[in-house]
Amino acid sequence: MDNIIEFKNVSKTYPSGTHALNNASLEIEKGEFVFIVGASGAGKSTFLKLIMHEEIPSRGTIMVNGVNVTNLKRRKVPYLRRNMGIVFQDFRLIDKMTVYDNVAFAMRAIGSSPSAVRKRVPYILKLVGLSGKGNRRPSELSGGEQQRVSLARALVNNPAIIIADEPTGNIDPEMSFEIIELLSEINAQGTTILVVTHEHDLVRHFNKRVIEIEKGRVISDTKHNAEDLYAVTTALETEMPDIDEIVESVVSGDTAEFEPIKEAAAEDTQELPKEGN
Amino acid sequence: MKITGLGYLIKEGFKNVWHNRIMSIASVCVLVSCLVLTGSAVLFSRNVAQVVDSVSDSNETTFYIKENLSRVEAVYIGRDIAKVKNVADVEYYSKDEAIKKYKKTLGEDIFQRMADDNPLPDAYIVTMKDLSKYDSTVENILKIEGVKKVASRRETAKKLTKINDLVQTMSLWVVVALTIISLFIISNTIRATMHSRRFEISIMKSVGATNHFVRIPFVVEGMTLGFIAAVISTVAMFFLYDGVMSIITNVIPFTSIPIMDVIFYVAGAFVVSGMFIGALSGVISLRKYLKKEGNEILGW
Repeated sequence: MDNIIEFKNVSKTYPSGTHALNNASLEIEKGEFVFIVGASGAGKSTFLKLIMHEEIPSRGTIMVNGVNVTNLKRRKVPYLRRNMGIVFQDFRLIDKMTVYDNVAFAMRAIGSSPSAVRKRVPYILKLVGLSGKGNRRPSELSGGEQQRVSLARALVNNPAIIIADEPTGNIDPEMSFEIIELLSEINAQGTTILVVTHEHDLVRHFNKRVIEIEKGRVISDTKHNAEDLYAVTTALETEMPDIDEIVESVVSGDTAEFEPIKEAAAEDTQELPKEGN
Repeated sequence: MKITGLGYLIKEGFKNVWHNRIMSIASVCVLVSCLVLTGSAVLFSRNVAQVVDSVSDSNETTFYIKENLSRVEAVYIGRDIAKVKNVADVEYYSKDEAIKKYKKTLGEDIFQRMADDNPLPDAYIVTMKDLSKYDSTVENILKIEGVKKVASRRETAKKLTKINDLVQTMSLWVVVALTIISLFIISNTIRATMHSRRFEISIMKSVGATNHFVRIPFVVEGMTLGFIAAVISTVAMFFLYDGVMSIITNVIPFTSIPIMDVIFYVAGAFVVSGMFIGALSGVISLRKYLKKEGNEILGW
């Protein structure tokens, strides 16, 4: 199968001197669903920025959809991005526009005809389960619904890849499952999905390929080593204690059983390298 | 580039003008002053050029003679002038006649007080055979004892041309300065809009909008400001020109260019240059922004 994303020995050093990626290599095939995990500052966002060509690598080669984008000319960058739909953690919806217009905006911005917009937007809103909410403002919707709008906007130009950067970071756990479920359905239609996440419950629940990045390197990839899945989820568990459980136990006054986790988390935080931006 | 989605982005540009109205008003004001000043300078020089043209074939030169000369002395001076080469005709023009003529053109009131104490000198009006020898003829006449100075419409034209040159140079610099200020203020206005729309810009870029597309609303905003300024400037020029010309022609009688002959050219030039400056401001203000990527656009 063809690779849709290919990193060959990619390094990225920011002007500040931070080594965000260190000789990272990985391949993602067309139609795959991949979770990217790793502590904050591990290099996940740099990885995404390199794919979107918001940053250029210091060393190495990046191929997207068969095209070498390592040193893509600036005026060609927009056309590269039309292959991708981006879903942000903070939704990035424009509140003075209706839900419909937020989704339509992505089409209008690349010059789609009004008739194409009229046909496509209702279809996509239905796909993400937001039929009938087109006239609402994003702020009138729940977090989960807002993320669906964001997803609809990412989907509307029919991209080959959906890149979701912590898509469940700002929504409650049940909604999170629904969003990933939705992404799985979209993936079933052939769209490649890349999800950056901290949430081990999600990663464990959906049995997908998991790539773990740490200190700028790919340290495990379940595609090449099935045991990595166990390692990754275990690592995530100790790294990222479930905040809801902690809150619950703090509220109920029973914090004893979480002390070790909190200590571990505190140590981890100290060890984390600072991200360059 | 497909242009089908343009309508939406153009509409956004118009909206920007209203959203940002305080800054829009400031931009329009500066641009109006720039355009009106340029327009005034151009119309001034057109009028001067017209006067210069109309008098260049006028073949009557006035030579004032010294005051307190006796009648006989004056007659001798007249004869001497007639002897100068290239002089076709000499005619005595007394200060009483002069003041009568002025009274006729300028109105009685101003000269009422001067009736007894006429400050004007006596003069000879000289007609020349060959106007191409004007300068040397004037020089020869001025050598005659008792001839004080020359005053012809030609001389006035010469002075006017000099003043015109000065005004042209000065207004050129003022216009250059004002154009730069306009560019600066309009691009700042647009930058303010851009700041409030940085979210949209970042989304446009992330979905793969080309820089041309990202620019459209801001260029439209600039052009709209330019157009509004052009319309206001045209109206202002119309009334300003009429008012100023009626005052000037009252003092210095000459046929000015009728405003209706030029107003359409003025309007056209204003619209073209106003919209050009506006569009340029839009492009300039976005330059830095377009180089930014992702969260940089949002200032994160």
